[in-house]
Amino acid sequence: MEFFERFAIPNPSLAIYASMVAIGLTVVAIIAGLTYFKKWGYLWREWLTTVDHKRIGIMYLLSALIMLFRGGVDAIMLRAQLAVPDNKLLDPQHYNEVFSTHGVIMVMFMAMPFIFAFMNYVVPLQIGARDVAFPRLNALSFWLFFFGAMLFNISFVIGGSPDAGWTSYFPLAGNDFSQHVGTNYYMIAIQISGIGSLMTGINMITTIMKMRAPGMTLMKMPMFTWSVLVTNLIIVTVFPVITVALAMGTMDRLFGTHFFATTNGGMDMLWANLFWVWGHPEVYILILPAFGIYSEIISTFAGRNLYGYKSMVASMVIISALSCMVWAHHFFTMGQGAVANSFFSITTMMIAVPTGVKIFNWLFTLWKGKIRFTVPMLYSLGFIPLFVIGGMTGVMLAMSAADYQYHNTMFLVAHFHNTIIPGVVFAMLAGLTYYWPKMFGFMLNERIGKWSFWTLTIGFCLAFFPMYITGLDGQARRMYTYSEATGYGPLNMVSFVGAGVMAISFALIVYNVYYSVRYSPRNIGADPWDARSLEWATHTPVPEYNFAVEPQVASSEGFWDAKKKGHALFPGKVEKIHMPNNSGVPFIMGAIFFVLGFSLVFSLWIPAILSLIGILACMALRSFEQDHGRYISVKEIEETETKLRGAK
Amino acid sequence: MSELFPRKQIIGFVFSLVLTAAALAVYFLKLSFAQGMVVLVVTAFVQALLQLVVFMHAGESEDKWVIYGKVFFMIAMALITVFGTLLIFLWDM
Amino acid sequence: MKVDHSLPLEYGTKQNGLNIFGFWVFLAAEIMLFATLFTSYFTLEHRTGSGPSGTEIFEIAPVIIETLLLLTSSFTIGLGVHAMRLGRKKAMMTFFVITLLLGLGFLGFEIDEFITYIHDGATLQTSAFTAMLMTTLGTHGLHVTFGLFWGTAILLQVKKRGLTPETANKSFIFSLYWHFLDVVWIFIFSFIYLKGMM
Ligand code: HEM
Ligand SMILES: [Cu+2]
Repeated sequence: MEFFERFAIPNPSLAIYASMVAIGLTVVAIIAGLTYFKKWGYLWREWLTTVDHKRIGIMYLLSALIMLFRGGVDAIMLRAQLAVPDNKLLDPQHYNEVFSTHGVIMVMFMAMPFIFAFMNYVVPLQIGARDVAFPRLNALSFWLFFFGAMLFNISFVIGGSPDAGWTSYFPLAGNDFSQHVGTNYYMIAIQISGIGSLMTGINMITTIMKMRAPGMTLMKMPMFTWSVLVTNLIIVTVFPVITVALAMGTMDRLFGTHFFATTNGGMDMLWANLFWVWGHPEVYILILPAFGIYSEIISTFAGRNLYGYKSMVASMVIISALSCMVWAHHFFTMGQGAVANSFFSITTMMIAVPTGVKIFNWLFTLWKGKIRFTVPMLYSLGFIPLFVIGGMTGVMLAMSAADYQYHNTMFLVAHFHNTIIPGVVFAMLAGLTYYWPKMFGFMLNERIGKWSFWTLTIGFCLAFFPMYITGLDGQARRMYTYSEATGYGPLNMVSFVGAGVMAISFALIVYNVYYSVRYSPRNIGADPWDARSLEWATHTPVPEYNFAVEPQVASSEGFWDAKKKGHALFPGKVEKIHMPNNSGVPFIMGAIFFVLGFSLVFSLWIPAILSLIGILACMALRSFEQDHGRYISVKEIEETETKLRGAK
Repeated sequence: MSELFPRKQIIGFVFSLVLTAAALAVYFLKLSFAQGMVVLVVTAFVQALLQLVVFMHAGESEDKWVIYGKVFFMIAMALITVFGTLLIFLWDM
Repeated sequence: MKVDHSLPLEYGTKQNGLNIFGFWVFLAAEIMLFATLFTSYFTLEHRTGSGPSGTEIFEIAPVIIETLLLLTSSFTIGLGVHAMRLGRKKAMMTFFVITLLLGLGFLGFEIDEFITYIHDGATLQTSAFTAMLMTTLGTHGLHVTFGLFWGTAILLQVKKRGLTPETANKSFIFSLYWHFLDVVWIFIFSFIYLKGMM
């Protein structure tokens, strides 16, 4: 019995017990359903072992949506607790747990996979490639992300959730102040999925640098591909940093080292430093692909090519370098002197310049365009003014002296939600609507989509603009309640209402999926939006080999040239196509990583060592295995092509 | 036999031994901290460059400039991380 | 599989080119990994708590031997790749075996060094400095250990399958890895040991 006590929840509540039951029932339902409909084989053959970038992309997408739901529930709980003064809905411990998991899940397990979903699905199509450079590694990346996310999520029913914030600052995150295993989950789950992200970075850079269609020079790549290239450059630069920081944090918690302790020479501030060396570039990892998606959508629906292509590219490259030089703006108040603060203050403000360049480029693209107000376009148009507000408050925060006032208040919370929601979340929803027909063969309903756009925008403004005011009035972040006398009550109530409106918007999106599955027409052709780049030049649904004939391009808008200027996109003949084989190893390795992580969280050394051996065995297996893939014959390709052409 | 020992690599190896010896001078000649650091920085980076060019064949493939670009970008970011942190914790705290 | 014979074997197929390129990107990431370790090391270097400082525990002799072993192994694996390009399988394998043996020797000295540290009362738990020292050295050491297994696996494959585009590609990539570890060691040698003893 004693052995099992460690798995108990340290701070139980009715809600947690209820979720345990709900999780249990869901798992039983899924297993029963799969067995009843005899879908285990299908699941294994078509999804769990797949190495196809399109399917991996779709799995990322589904995971991201599920995580959006989990993070969203957390968010509603936070706002509900703060809606009125002296509220007793959540106690302080639970409030801490909820804001910690909310932040981690939204950044690491919602936004990241959402972005990876589009990277995976769109980039190979957009550059005219058959797959990514290392399809199996890609599958491994996904499974590491997935099992990392699962590990993090079980924390709240087994052993207790992390409660030291998404930044997990030491010494609070050390054993003295965070005694239960929650923070172990934080360290290890992020580590596992972070390794996956790093591998995606390597994979995507190689894919984009080496596998572009003939004629697509660097300066003829579509803007989304450019943004992905730059993003992955940042990923490869900074993920190793968080790997080291998390390893050190794990050692502090499990092996009694004193890296971030306050005794024996340890330095808690070093954690903050390393965290933000990764953390600030991380927010640019989130926003740059979003910029890429907006660029695609704006030029498609303005009916014009993107204004200022070269300056767009230049500004992203500059952002990628600058974003690694600003990290200290997250701890201006930590005690370093004026020289250091001024340096980081200036570099931070400098980032606003290339960002501004991009904003103007989008505006000039719209200028004199024939704008079609579709749902993806609405999100993009909403993004521009709202994001500008977020960026401007960022520049306010960037002034180190003034930041002593803003730091760790609701003003900061308003700033980063103001950049992340209109910046990243809007882009993801826009991309979702835009690429949905390519992924699934039918469009999402436009009318419901517009409702969700407007509710989301209004809800967002209601939820976050009041925080600028309460923040300037001194309401601190991460405080579980406040007294009546502070006068923060009414504005917090407005925020709560706004959060509710946003929840309605997400419900509408779910309803939209349901509605469109049932009622949307299926004969939409390959190019329902009258778009411009290569991903729209192949069939819908996309055949597994993507393009029967390798496309050849002469500009960044190959498909548009083919439609309007008679450019010959597919000059070659059909030849047999080499494809990689499916493999179960990535999934199995991911699962072993899960066991490893779980064992480490609870310091169970024997299973940890066994799973480590298992992982090495998988790698050895991979090294000795001879797998040369398979070929799809010309005959097969031609059959598929005729069928798909007929289906239009 | 001699075709197995190309001149370029042998010279490279000898040179790397010389650089190591030069770095050791810091210890054996008891240089001052400033002098020592200059010697160490020079020998370490020259040594790294030597490995990169002579032994790792960084310049031989069609992607030469991409590889050099990538490596030097990374070195720049690494230096920024190191010196930025030193600025924060050691020189200005 | 299409093999382009105008290129060295290890670049021969399209996938080979991708592998080598991808590995360079990985090495770039490794640069940042070690840079982070160095960053932390420099920050914690003088934070010795109640434990010993670098000057007290570093010894020059083993460090010089370790450096020579690793430098030489970097040279021999370079010769190995050269032999591979000449198509001399036997010679290539000999050089790789020598490399791995030198690596093993390095590891032996390093383990001995760790044992001495622990004897001197410098353990992982002693102070931030000792923990950081051991983590930095340990990360490098683990890379070498991993390399020994990896190199052995590749040697077995070369032995069994001969020099094919695939095995040549793996061997070349392994050589990149090995040289990189040597470079990292040079920085450890210069900025941890020599700087610490200055
Ligand atoms: C013009 C561009 C921007 C500037 C000048 C800027 C500046 C800042 C500053 C100075 C802080 C720290 C304030 C404090 O802690 O007191 C901050 C926090 C933050 N920013 Fe920005 N920012 C910008 C854009 C963005 C973007 C595009 C994102 C995300 C997509 C973002 C996400 C965040 C997050 C998540 C935090 C706070 C994290 C935390 O403490 O939990 N920012 N920003
Ligand atoms: Cu920042």
